[in-house]
Amino acid sequence: MSFEVIIGIEIHCELKTKTKMFSGAPVSFGNLPNTCVNEIDLGHPGTLPSLNKRAVELAIIACELMNCEIDRLIRFDRKNYYYSDLPKGYQITQQFHPIGRGGYVDIEVDGVSKRIGINRLHMEEDTAKQFHHGDVTWIDFNRAGTPLVEIVSEPDIRSGKEAAAFVEKMKSLLEFGDISDVKMEEGSLRCDVNISLRPYGFEGYGTKVEIKNLNSVNNVLRAVEAEIARQTDVYFKGESIVQSTRRYDETSRKTVLMRKKEGAVDYKYFPEPNIPPIMISDEFYRKVKSNLPKTAQQRKEDYIHLLGLSDYDASILTSGKDLSDYFDAIVSCGAPAKNTANWLISEVLSVAQLRNNRRFADWIQPQHMSDLLVLVSEGKISGKQAKEVFADMIQGESPKDIVAKKGLVQVSDEGHLLCWVLEVLSNNAQSIEDYKNGKDRALGFLVGQVMKLSKGKANPAMTSELLVQELSKR
Amino acid sequence: MFANRKIENIEMEVMDAVNQARKQQPLLNAMVSFTEVDEAIEYAKSSSGKMAGLPIILKDNVLTKGVRTTGSVQILDNYIGTYDATITTKLKEAGAVIIGKSALDGLGMGGTGTNCHTGFVHNPYDLTRMAGGSSVGSAVLVASGAVAFAIGSDTGDSVRKPASFVGIVGVKPTYGRISRYGIIPYASSLDHVGYFTRGVEDAALSLEVLAGRDDKDMTSSFREVENYLANLNGDLTGKTIGIMGNVIDAIRSKEVLVLFNDLVEKCKAAGAIIKVIHMDPVRLKTCLPVYYIIANSEATANHSNLDGVRFGMQERGDSLEELMTNSRTKGFSFLLRKRFIIGSYSLADENQDLLLRKAQKVRRLLVEDFKVALADIDVLIAPASSDVAPLLTDTSADQLSARYLIAENHMVLGNFSGYPSMTIPMGKINGLPIGINLTAKPFEEQVLFDIALGMEHLTGCKNMMAEVML
Repeated sequence: MSFEVIIGIEIHCELKTKTKMFSGAPVSFGNLPNTCVNEIDLGHPGTLPSLNKRAVELAIIACELMNCEIDRLIRFDRKNYYYSDLPKGYQITQQFHPIGRGGYVDIEVDGVSKRIGINRLHMEEDTAKQFHHGDVTWIDFNRAGTPLVEIVSEPDIRSGKEAAAFVEKMKSLLEFGDISDVKMEEGSLRCDVNISLRPYGFEGYGTKVEIKNLNSVNNVLRAVEAEIARQTDVYFKGESIVQSTRRYDETSRKTVLMRKKEGAVDYKYFPEPNIPPIMISDEFYRKVKSNLPKTAQQRKEDYIHLLGLSDYDASILTSGKDLSDYFDAIVSCGAPAKNTANWLISEVLSVAQLRNNRRFADWIQPQHMSDLLVLVSEGKISGKQAKEVFADMIQGESPKDIVAKKGLVQVSDEGHLLCWVLEVLSNNAQSIEDYKNGKDRALGFLVGQVMKLSKGKANPAMTSELLVQELSKR
Repeated sequence: MFANRKIENIEMEVMDAVNQARKQQPLLNAMVSFTEVDEAIEYAKSSSGKMAGLPIILKDNVLTKGVRTTGSVQILDNYIGTYDATITTKLKEAGAVIIGKSALDGLGMGGTGTNCHTGFVHNPYDLTRMAGGSSVGSAVLVASGAVAFAIGSDTGDSVRKPASFVGIVGVKPTYGRISRYGIIPYASSLDHVGYFTRGVEDAALSLEVLAGRDDKDMTSSFREVENYLANLNGDLTGKTIGIMGNVIDAIRSKEVLVLFNDLVEKCKAAGAIIKVIHMDPVRLKTCLPVYYIIANSEATANHSNLDGVRFGMQERGDSLEELMTNSRTKGFSFLLRKRFIIGSYSLADENQDLLLRKAQKVRRLLVEDFKVALADIDVLIAPASSDVAPLLTDTSADQLSARYLIAENHMVLGNFSGYPSMTIPMGKINGLPIGINLTAKPFEEQVLFDIALGMEHLTGCKNMMAEVML
């Protein structure tokens, strides 16, 4: 490639709070339009904002996870503009004194680690959601006033892969930090990417283009690559880039012009007079800092070092907070970690994919999953039986009930097993002969005969041991 | 008067108030709407609240659920309150009976009572005169005898100035003492809830009802509310009273000075220590422009919610932008639009350093001066206006004279600083009342009430009422 790519990313992330940033109305997704609103969210006359403490706590956690310097004096400002999705005619944000500044996160692309700077992190409120149908616009104010943090990276990102890795990293930090549910497709995490190109060695910046409304990490990658190709093409044609906002069109896999940027809008920012500056007390700050949730990286390290999982298993388990939480819940019910990991990765994840539902605990309670794995590890049922039980557990039944109902008890009693072993041996003289003559397959056959005789209840490992023992006597 | 008086016949007291307000309406034009009272009367009968059965009036910028609340602007002419302001709730809980909503200069902007959406409001002492503003209707209805208590709001001097012109008590407590939740704002950093009574004892009791922390107003104070009435003590012995020398120097009316000096002499005789305090005269002249810039800047943003989209009057348009422009153009008077433009201009990126930010800096300096002025004294006093109420036809005020800049605008220092400040009547000139203004240190409302009570004893101006010629 002939140009150096300069990318900065802005992330808007809805905070996981019960109520809104400045009102007591509930935060919700998917509720009936305009049912989660009160007079404050609708900007009725005389209303005043009251700051959501939990939102501040989550913002502090986000700052800590992104290594930002925290401004302990919380201040807000007004951003003034008229639009139908902005009930008050201004948005309360932190223009002049963002809560976080000067942070960084580390990303990894193709095995190489890179540090991306975080310019600022600030709190603000979301706008209402608009739906355009022909020439009619519907407004749902449920979203109005939802707490947000906006995170702005330094222009340190140099490729589509790095952009995707950055967004993936932010998602992971925000999700594991319990700050947001980071659903890009539902808009609880939105990212805008600013891209410009410049010749290598050039000090200044080229004209930048903003790509908005990217709804998945994959699309971040594709959109950035498409835009780099487009801008390269424009420069090679000897034309210039127009400062503009574009969106990514999935069908054509190209970026499409939304609007040109003509002059900067004057938002007439000024300090919000209805929220006095608030000092975060040492006590509050210490409490938040000492209870920081574990990041995916920290959980992964715990899995490897404390639970003895492989790097591969630990990586998969920490690819999403839902899976990691589910794993932790099962293990905390008493299931052995390694078996739990194997089962989650091989069985549960494939079912989740089929059902397209990752709310694992909704279809199998952690306790049930743990009970199943304990039955296996204690040798009460075989692995094969366990899979049979698992299939039924998805219907909500407990593994103990299923085992009892199906009579799926594995016999591990030596005396009991020995009876079967002796009976099989007495009926299969040829196999004994074969075994003596070094035909290993004969042992497998004999184990199979015992299984058949026991209607699948014999513990296969013990059966095999007993057979070898008995055969050596003959 | 209602402090230390149990209202025996609530129905009669309330209906008397309603009837008076109705009868006076053609002359005073002080009411915007009357409210249903039956339910509140029933509630009051079994209430042991501090205002049980007391008929009261709210300025029409106080939100009342289910009752029209217009802010005295066209764009809210059809607006029905969707919730109760915190003070509305507190007053109801105290057993007060809200009989109606009173006129104001639109959105609280104006000090004449001539910029109301419902027309001019007249002074009950002389119908050809103004009664000040912006809380004009409330002031007039307390002075006319219709009610003994009414709510106002004070951003520049909107309670304390009209109180002077109609001879009643007007109180603006410390910023944060009374919740602002549910008051249609003017300028958030200057807005205070205030109120009118006809005596200092009533004023002391009323603050007990209204004050207190409200989680819905983050600027409201956590300080405990005091027993202002029980602790009230009008003994002036040893009290230090500072006279604002700059204001006295700027007043041209001999009669006003005679009344004022007479009261000062009486205070001295009653044991008070009198000092004359001078503040930086150049800085004092900036009160008005500083006020204008800050108030209009905040107001512009505060009223951006009135866009005709979600509530209030809507004027159609071919686009969203046109709908908003049309609604706001038709929905606000020329004066209000002018103020929004001044505010918007002061907020513009290229002007903000020179206008809003500079005004905020000067505000801080003025507050510093004011703090120093109050440092060694209990209260700072000055006439609440340089003369009696002007004629409704009077537009001659020379807005750049010291008389105007200092004598008419010093009370805004109470809004800049948030310090508690009140006006009580000090006498009459040719039958027209005029008041004296007192300001104390933050949250020293008790000191303020104590000295005001001492002065009320000396002036004898208690429970003054106008004879409205019907």
